[in-house]
Amino acid sequence: MMTYVVRRLLSMVVVMALVALVVFIVARVVPGDPAAVMLGSSATQSDVDALRRQLGLDQPLITQFAMFVRDILTGNLGTSIFLNQPVLDAIAGRAQLTLLLAGMSITISVLIGLPVGIISAVKRGTALDQGVIGGAMLAASLPSFWVGLTLIEYLAVKVHWFPVSGFGPPGASLWEHIYHLVLPSIALGLPNSAIIIRFTRSSMLDVLGDDYIRTARAKGLGLGAVVIKHALRNALIPILTVIGLTLAVLIGGTIVTETVFGLPGAGNLIVSAVLRRDYPVIQGALLIISGIYVCINLVIDLLYAVVDPRVRY
Amino acid sequence: MLTLKAPLFVAAAIACSAFGTPFGAEAKPAGVLTVAIIGEPPSLDVMSTTVDLVSTISQHIFETLYTFDAQWKPTPLLAAAPPVISDDGKVYLIKLRKDVKFHDGATMTVADVQASLERWMKTSPRGKQVAAILDSLSAPDDSTIRIALKQNYAPLMSLLAFNNGAAVVMPKALATNEGPLKEFIGTGPFKLLEHKPDQYIRLAAFADYTSAPGAASGYAGKREAEVEELRFVVTPNAVTRVDSVLSGQVLYADSLPTEMLGRLKGQDTVKPVIIKPFAWPFMIMNNKSALTGNVDLRRAMQSALSLPDMLMAAFGDPQFFAVKGPFYDKDTPFFSEAGARGAADPKKAADLLKKAGYKGQPIRIMTSTQYDFLYKMSLVAQQNLQDAGFTVDLQVLDWATLVQRRNDPNAWDALFTFHTFVPEPSLITILNPTYAGWWDTPEKNQALAVFNGEPDPAKRAAAWGQLQAVFFDQVPTIKVGDFYSLAAASSKLTGLVAAPWPFFWNVSVKP
Repeated sequence: MMTYVVRRLLSMVVVMALVALVVFIVARVVPGDPAAVMLGSSATQSDVDALRRQLGLDQPLITQFAMFVRDILTGNLGTSIFLNQPVLDAIAGRAQLTLLLAGMSITISVLIGLPVGIISAVKRGTALDQGVIGGAMLAASLPSFWVGLTLIEYLAVKVHWFPVSGFGPPGASLWEHIYHLVLPSIALGLPNSAIIIRFTRSSMLDVLGDDYIRTARAKGLGLGAVVIKHALRNALIPILTVIGLTLAVLIGGTIVTETVFGLPGAGNLIVSAVLRRDYPVIQGALLIISGIYVCINLVIDLLYAVVDPRVRY
Repeated sequence: MLTLKAPLFVAAAIACSAFGTPFGAEAKPAGVLTVAIIGEPPSLDVMSTTVDLVSTISQHIFETLYTFDAQWKPTPLLAAAPPVISDDGKVYLIKLRKDVKFHDGATMTVADVQASLERWMKTSPRGKQVAAILDSLSAPDDSTIRIALKQNYAPLMSLLAFNNGAAVVMPKALATNEGPLKEFIGTGPFKLLEHKPDQYIRLAAFADYTSAPGAASGYAGKREAEVEELRFVVTPNAVTRVDSVLSGQVLYADSLPTEMLGRLKGQDTVKPVIIKPFAWPFMIMNNKSALTGNVDLRRAMQSALSLPDMLMAAFGDPQFFAVKGPFYDKDTPFFSEAGARGAADPKKAADLLKKAGYKGQPIRIMTSTQYDFLYKMSLVAQQNLQDAGFTVDLQVLDWATLVQRRNDPNAWDALFTFHTFVPEPSLITILNPTYAGWWDTPEKNQALAVFNGEPDPAKRAAAWGQLQAVFFDQVPTIKVGDFYSLAAASSKLTGLVAAPWPFFWNVSVKP
């Protein structure tokens, strides 16, 4: 197992090196100039050139790449051109929000998705099952921005139960932050719960059709014990995979929900950096997110071994 | 019956009133005024950038020697009086106000002002215009600044008054530091409290602020921080900004799409604010291009375009635009109708196209969906031009790409952009021959030199009319019209004045 973990961590280094190279090249090949964006439309070309020199953007690409690699190897992801702060600080400043939002959203998705998927599988073919399938399809089709705007309109603007946007006032406590993330978590959790419902139902149906389940029932074991103790555990592997992938996407890619709710999370940081051509942030943030993706995949793979004793590395 | 406590109470009251409060006899500032803004400003260093958002925020922290009143006339702010100008118009003596405090408690001195102006001339796109013609900058005494120019330059006062790329005053120690500004200490009614990028910028009322004298008029006159905290909250999504102000989470929402007007009308708690003047949409021509470098072709394009249709497509509601040729309105110093063109004339367009010898080469026009209104008007323009016989290659780009390509004269023939209203015509970027578009003709340079060199305001207005006439004749850029901006303000706000760079001094929040 330890050898497997070490091998996977080494491959993570290779993945991240490739990500660094691709992101560096793509960011610079795409037209657009961070200096021009910063100075505004009234700046002349000489103003832009002066700022480019100041920021080191006039250096040859190979020099810029060498400096980038040198910085990474010393744990330095550079300084944001736009925010004028270390990239690590910019990311760390958004980590609490992103992790909280991802955690709350995946909790909602799992709390809805898992039980509903199990019930739907057990009650296969019934009106309840059909209703769940239809509902899941509807929930998966709903764009998260529409869900978000609807929640804002009815629960924030009309009845003031929740705030419209933001992560909380200055000096907000953890509970105030959580309060501000309730609506965005629902907006994200609902469509994702539909995916978990479908996967859970499908995986459970595969397992519930197996001989040992029929045998357990024939021997008099209660439905609950059969479903939860025997079937679910065997059905968990694909479900864990989709939960893991969903969590990874929530950490790096919730820009639409962040924009609707005015949340300064990681998605917002990356998209703003792309629009502003803030190269250090684009590079640093994508490197970290690719690392998180790899780690989450590793954890999921290791969980397989916990859930299924037949899986050994 | 009087007790021992009464004399003590009276004595305490007298003692308190003798000391007064830091804000004088007026009520202390109260409440938090939250403003939803469109995005994160690139910096709070208002000298180094012309991004309007930076001006909106920084004007509360920093002040200039002069500012604009409601009629857009330069008026003393940190200066004590209008400048004394030499007979030849080349030397300006500016007397400074006394006892003006910086946010760090120090008193503003002439050395601070001189160092700030030197930094402005080195870092600001506006200041560099002045640096090019500066002879010397000195302080003949401890309350006077002397600006000596190599030539007569009438825009100087407006440049000193403008809050964009602004000649703000900061402590000498900050002004003489190389590199980007790291501390933001000014003389304004608010001081910087906290800045969390992509979240908020908090400004606190400055207890020792001393206002310029006179009644408030535009940006000029009395300024008072009537709220304890001014908080700019970054809210990039326009619908979220509207929802925030409707729910009361913020008290002012800036830069709203005009189609949101319907949601704001008829509300008890919120009122729409229409800001005029605001900006001019431009179709800038590349005067270096083989195609649009031909004046007859440009005139043909101008005749082909239906400006009312373009504006209606862009803004939808006539409340938010005007089909107007002249740059300035009737009650302003620079109003002139000289040269303004009439309606579209397809026959004239066809004749001019023939005269230009146009053979159907594609006209490359850049536009962007970043500004929805520019994209919509460019679609109408494309149709108008095609109907007139042009071949159009409409290139839809993201804003950062457009801004970069704009500086390459080989990459485009025309582009859609907009120009925020400026109170001084010489600040219009396309008059600068090095600005993208590269309008550089003898007639324009001559008219601009006359305009910039004329010290008499009345004659200057006439000189602007002549320059405007050259503009409409040579068509270096097509001014599509005027457009206005929509914002929303809570009914709890009192004292708010609609302005292109909204300001929040003299504004209070009803409990």
